[in-house]
Amino acid sequence: MSRTMLPAKIYFEDVQVGDEIPKLVTAPVTHLQLVRYAGASGDFNPLHTDPKIGEMIGVGGIIAHGMLIMGFVGQMLSDYVGPQALRKFGVRFKGMTHLNDEITCTGTITEKYEENGEGRIAGKVQAADQNGDVKVTGTFVAALPRRA
Amino acid sequence: MSRRPGKQEGTQCRMFDTSKVGQSFPPFTIEVARCKVHELALAIGDTNPIYHSREAAQEAGYPDVPLFPTSPTTFAFWGNTNMGKHLVDMGLNVMRILHGEEEYEYLAPIYPGDVLTGVVTVAEGKSRQGRDGSSLDIVTLETLYTNQEGQEVLKARQTIVVRE
Repeated sequence: MSRTMLPAKIYFEDVQVGDEIPKLVTAPVTHLQLVRYAGASGDFNPLHTDPKIGEMIGVGGIIAHGMLIMGFVGQMLSDYVGPQALRKFGVRFKGMTHLNDEITCTGTITEKYEENGEGRIAGKVQAADQNGDVKVTGTFVAALPRRA
Repeated sequence: MSRRPGKQEGTQCRMFDTSKVGQSFPPFTIEVARCKVHELALAIGDTNPIYHSREAAQEAGYPDVPLFPTSPTTFAFWGNTNMGKHLVDMGLNVMRILHGEEEYEYLAPIYPGDVLTGVVTVAEGKSRQGRDGSSLDIVTLETLYTNQEGQEVLKARQTIVVRE
């Protein structure tokens, strides 16, 4: 399978193992954002939109969609390598995100190698709130173009 | 096969039916829509114009608006509307589902207008029952998406956890 390499955000030669990905800090999570995210994603679980449900099951009000937090990490990766460079992206959900939490996404390059004729990088990523509580950890693989 | 606790009437206790491991559900189709990429990026807060306008995407060198990294979640929720029923049929209490893990393998580019067919397979699943009647189900679902040309374009893997 061959793919056309699209506009380079960053070149394979420019990345080294141990490099940090420019971090992404989000605005505080709002109720409106969760309603908007529900509509966009199609996940209408009331846990994410109806404060009464969260109180009832004892999680302290509305909980953000875990996939919203994965989306924040996705935005960081998209800013770093571009959306078409990603080959793999996976996360594990570690903690619940509440309203007004400000999420900081970070990441580090862990590997650089060749596969399928592509120069690839692998890295680990994380999202945590203003208190350092981890919400999501994950990994990704991206294929980067080489300098001509 | 003996009746499982999850199949009994009048009881709240359900648990994962492990005989479902390896089973695939009937395929579903979803047409990739530019506006769904725009809505998702907007909700997340990503203002990169390539996700919001075809012209901006083309100016940046893309043939059309590219998928946002987590766009596959919209294929599952909007395209696979029977999934809730499948989960119930597997013996899972959908009111208690927590999302454990999510992973995408991007096999080939996907653009607006592509018509994807998704097949969900129960890749792994286990159920543990405590003496106090509590239960813990961990189920991994894999969805393979093929485009209108028969090319495999995306693999999504999702682990859900149900604690009762």
